[in-house]
Amino acid sequence: MLHDLRLPKINPNMTSAVVECTYGSPGTLLRLGDKLFDLSVDLSSGFSQYCPPISYFRVVAREKLWLRKILVSPGDSCEVGDLLALLSTEQDEPIEMAPARALRITTAGIAHHQGLWSASNAG
Amino acid sequence: MTLPLSLGPLAAEGFVIRRSGIHWLCEDGHLCRPNEVIGYCNISLERTSGQRAGQFPMADELELQVAFAPAIAGRLQIGSGHSPGGYLSVFGLQDWNSDDVVARLDPSPDPLTDSLADAGAAQTGCGRLRLLLLAGRRMSGLADVDYGLLPGWHSRSRAWWGDQAGPLSTLLCIGICDAAGIVRGNEIPFVEAFEASAAPVQLVYVPDHPVVPCAPILLEQLERTQAERQAIAADLAAGLGSGRTPASADDWLFAGALLSSLERSPMLEGYDVLTPTGLRRMGPPDAVLLSLSAEVQSVLRHKKLGYSLQMLRHRQASAGPAVKAWLNSAFEPVKRNVDDIRRDYRRLIEALAAKTGARVLILNRMSTSGYEDILSYAPFDAPMRETLEHVAAKEMNLMLHDLACDCDFSIVDVDAIAAELGGTDHLPDGIHHSGEMQSVLRSEIIRVLNHERSGREIPIS
Repeated sequence: MLHDLRLPKINPNMTSAVVECTYGSPGTLLRLGDKLFDLSVDLSSGFSQYCPPISYFRVVAREKLWLRKILVSPGDSCEVGDLLALLSTEQDEPIEMAPARALRITTAGIAHHQGLWSASNAG
Repeated sequence: MTLPLSLGPLAAEGFVIRRSGIHWLCEDGHLCRPNEVIGYCNISLERTSGQRAGQFPMADELELQVAFAPAIAGRLQIGSGHSPGGYLSVFGLQDWNSDDVVARLDPSPDPLTDSLADAGAAQTGCGRLRLLLLAGRRMSGLADVDYGLLPGWHSRSRAWWGDQAGPLSTLLCIGICDAAGIVRGNEIPFVEAFEASAAPVQLVYVPDHPVVPCAPILLEQLERTQAERQAIAADLAAGLGSGRTPASADDWLFAGALLSSLERSPMLEGYDVLTPTGLRRMGPPDAVLLSLSAEVQSVLRHKKLGYSLQMLRHRQASAGPAVKAWLNSAFEPVKRNVDDIRRDYRRLIEALAAKTGARVLILNRMSTSGYEDILSYAPFDAPMRETLEHVAAKEMNLMLHDLACDCDFSIVDVDAIAAELGGTDHLPDGIHHSGEMQSVLRSEIIRVLNHERSGREIPIS
């Protein structure tokens, strides 16, 4: 069975997010609690004349699945609903079919850290 | 009944007060609220003949303005002839005359407002305008903008009602965005706070650029000697002038603002205030408002001179390549844990109490988020406070609470108020408040100040 991970609407005011970190490699088995992405959400849509209301979030898997494909890279800006990754219950099942449902995830606000894409590439 | 709105008295002994034309912030026919700022003019002081030349009061505050507000609600009638237009409306070409009638007001017709109107007319002398004085010290004399209320780039701005008869106390805001919005507001500077409160207080705002106002930096500002200031300036000049990374215009502008922040402590500065009866000299602030959110987990320490420095990331982005290179080579990062921050706060609060007696109020942090659904902490690296924002906020709030048990300061409980109002609508990113939340926090700060002043609980006004 195929599952997808799309950019969730973590904050009701957000329209997009920037991928700050990707964790895991395609072909690996995700365990419950494995990190998938760190994201930054800028409620000012990147207009940085004033103090930008930027929050950082971590997306974590809540179920055991094979990570099959990551469709984004650090620095990519994504809109809510954009496809971030594909996962499957079996290691080698085809991924061209329509996903059965979304991956179950946990999201949590995180502190800025030096591993984020923006820590070394912004400003 | 139509009330003529006159300017009312304003005096500075030894000086003539000159004013510009009137700039209206609303249209003729506007229905005004009590204390709503409806217009303003620029003012300047001119020495009266026979006075010896010397230091001008407020000489470093090139923005000096008076905003007007009716004491009661009503419909505004703006007559013509109060402004010649163009530059002639900017310069102080007219003498301040307390009897000048600049507009009229038809008090609102409802019975409640009628009674207020009568009371207001009696108290203020036939609808005399309330005067909100505003003063801004430019970051550079070059940062002049000649239209609007407190326009331009200021290293310090302040405001006070000019018709307060009794003593005036001063609240200095040196927090980051969470504090700035409460005190300076996000519309016309200061007017939201002063429209909402009749408290006899001067509000002073010092921005968080380029230096983050965290406790070790504020403490060092408080204790820095002239020799140390000179050493910092010389080191910065040498760093930018070394030629290793050519300095750009952005570098010099940033360096100037940086030195401006490091060379003075706003907590030690006094103030001249204009009042209806004359100039008054006030001492350092009675109370200082800080942000717990400004207490970053790492500061930069100068390798040779030993002073602390930190800037918010979006401020650092404004620096040019030479300043960035200097920051990288001349400083080393020093991590701060909760105990370090507790120690820094204690030192700052005690030093401030010893030097000026000022009270400290600290805005705590929102520590919960509706955007999380954590079932297990296993995916998050220990120590949790360095990974999860809400854990860090809870630990910091707890530290502040513990410190308050044996250190004399007040906590403004942003965490509780945000939870009551709803964080999603009123604090969506944990730092920037809605207007409603700012309003509640302003009331809370006034309540805390009143409580401390009188030693007893006073209802929120």
